[in-house]
Amino acid sequence: MVSPHRATHKRETPMPFLELQNLQKTYPDGTRAVRGIDLAVDEGEFIVLLGPSGCGKTTTLRMIAGLEDPTDGQIVLGNRNVTHLPPSQRDVGFVFQFYALYPHMTAKKNIAFPLENIGTSPSDIDATIDRVARALGIEALLDQYPRQLSGGDQQRVSLARAMVRTPDVYLMDEPLGTLDAEHRLELRAFIRRQQLALSTTAIYVTHDQEEAMSLADRMVVMEGGKIKQTGSPPEIYNHPADLFVANFVGSPGMNLIDGQIVQHEDGLAFTRLGANVHIPIHLRVAPPRAILGIRPEFIRPANRGVPGKVVLGEYLGSHAYVHVDTPLGELVMHAPDRFAIGESIHLRLDEGRVCLFDPDTGMALARSAGMKDVKLYGRSISQN
Amino acid sequence: MHVKDGVLKYGFVGPALIFLIAFNIFPLLYNIYLSFTDAELSGGLARFVGGRNYGVIFDDTRYGVALCTTGLFVVLAVAVELVLGFGLALALRGPFWGKSVVTTILLVPMMLSPAVMGLYWNFILNGHYGVVNQALAVLGLFQPQWLTDPDLKLLSILMIDIWMWTPFMMLIALAGLNAIPPHLYEAAALDRASNWTVFRRVTLPLCSPLLFLAVLLRTTDALKQFDLVMAVTGPNDRTTQTLSALLYQVMFRGYKIGLGSAYSLVILLLVIVLANVFIRYIASIQAKQGRDVA
Repeated sequence: MVSPHRATHKRETPMPFLELQNLQKTYPDGTRAVRGIDLAVDEGEFIVLLGPSGCGKTTTLRMIAGLEDPTDGQIVLGNRNVTHLPPSQRDVGFVFQFYALYPHMTAKKNIAFPLENIGTSPSDIDATIDRVARALGIEALLDQYPRQLSGGDQQRVSLARAMVRTPDVYLMDEPLGTLDAEHRLELRAFIRRQQLALSTTAIYVTHDQEEAMSLADRMVVMEGGKIKQTGSPPEIYNHPADLFVANFVGSPGMNLIDGQIVQHEDGLAFTRLGANVHIPIHLRVAPPRAILGIRPEFIRPANRGVPGKVVLGEYLGSHAYVHVDTPLGELVMHAPDRFAIGESIHLRLDEGRVCLFDPDTGMALARSAGMKDVKLYGRSISQN
Repeated sequence: MHVKDGVLKYGFVGPALIFLIAFNIFPLLYNIYLSFTDAELSGGLARFVGGRNYGVIFDDTRYGVALCTTGLFVVLAVAVELVLGFGLALALRGPFWGKSVVTTILLVPMMLSPAVMGLYWNFILNGHYGVVNQALAVLGLFQPQWLTDPDLKLLSILMIDIWMWTPFMMLIALAGLNAIPPHLYEAAALDRASNWTVFRRVTLPLCSPLLFLAVLLRTTDALKQFDLVMAVTGPNDRTTQTLSALLYQVMFRGYKIGLGSAYSLVILLLVIVLANVFIRYIASIQAKQGRDVA
């Protein structure tokens, strides 16, 4: 598991490469888009800001770029306070969702533009464009105008323009959002390969949790202008900090079940309508009620366990999502194959992967520590 | 009642067609015919004289002078209006307090009739009681004879035209500027372009098709300059006689319909040729950028 937390590294300079301190943005109309963001990014890290639309992720990115002026807080980039500097005085490469290519310039002119502005010699410009164009596979498109290019090719040109100057940090605002599925996967892999090859720091904004998990060293999940959770994709996926993250990350989201916590003869148990689930989590003070969260892939069909009836099946080729009506509520199970609707089955919940949330605050009560160091109880599900 | 499509078709197109033939095509053809005759306003039988009228035009020294006057007028008026109008548009582009009021006031000159404006300016620029010279007198400055000094008359007409039509340029330039997507300016800022570079390489090229359109409209209009000349100096003033003024003089003061028709065709030809050059240029820019500006 990649966990580039500063605290785990011994370093000469403990300064992060990019640091956001209590960053805030309130628009003149009173909208509080960003309500205090603290984030430290190490050099070479690929950070993905993930959240639903209106969560402040794009505003945060635009503040880092200098396209929005923060109302409060600080942005430190490479030991320099850039909070109120114009974009031209920060060394950032920006990729827009809608490409923002200059329509009156050929692809080549578009890519050359940032280099011309810093006085690069024509021969160096040509060499750099050749190199970047080859990396992106757009050599044949250089003499075309943006409107002659497909969306995917326009975004390649836009990536090339952001890359030619080798900036301190790449900022990408949903660069794949408007592309079709095929180009999206292709370009997603390219972006990650390129970033790894150059080990340039990157901040990437998306509302697509799958895209976020596939790209990120570290994910930052945002909602309502605030950070909900920061962590590596497995941390976020397996140990969501609250109900919002549990539901937003993962497709489909986590199964969430409201029920009681009771003392069982051999430990803590979660119970609802007579169905019990053992939980290998040790709480100093067990609350009377809790919300249990479990991902579809940690529910399996079994000979014994929670009884249920199949109500819906979503077959996806490699697997199927099966909706099962149980005493615990309707659960979505990741199954290897289809089930007939109406079929009676039993479900086994992998209690080592269970999360518990406070029903009042929505915060995680405790996290089961993950597969490696969880002590699995012998009997997982008991029925009465 | 059911009307057949075929009948309906002519019902819709018919009125426009009749109007076009009656007021455009027939007069044009009749004008061409007249230009080869010695028709006069005083009546009498028009005789076919072949190309003689065209010969007269090119022998007429007034024609050469009027051509130069018109050319000078068009070039200066359109150039100054373009620069001033574009400048004003750049200044008015951003949001500021009272923007709509300022913009409306700036558009007023354009909304008034040129003939009325010519008369107003006659008063304003009058050498004796005009407000301009009175102001200059109060300041103790030299008071030029705007409307009677042969060196100044054309300049005065130019100034009035510029005053009238700069708002038009501004309006179109403003539309062009507003059509530039804001994210291109953000991209340019991130690409570290200086203000001058942004203007030269983003603003100007993206605005230019609309600017060319404005120049085209103003040029064809200025080539026909007549009302201001008529109102300020009259049609037969050597230093301000434009082609249209000369045409008027020949046709309606000299009663020579045949010769006047030939003059009007020469002017028409000039306008068509120039307009085509402009239109082709605009189309070539648009084809390259694939944008629908005009």
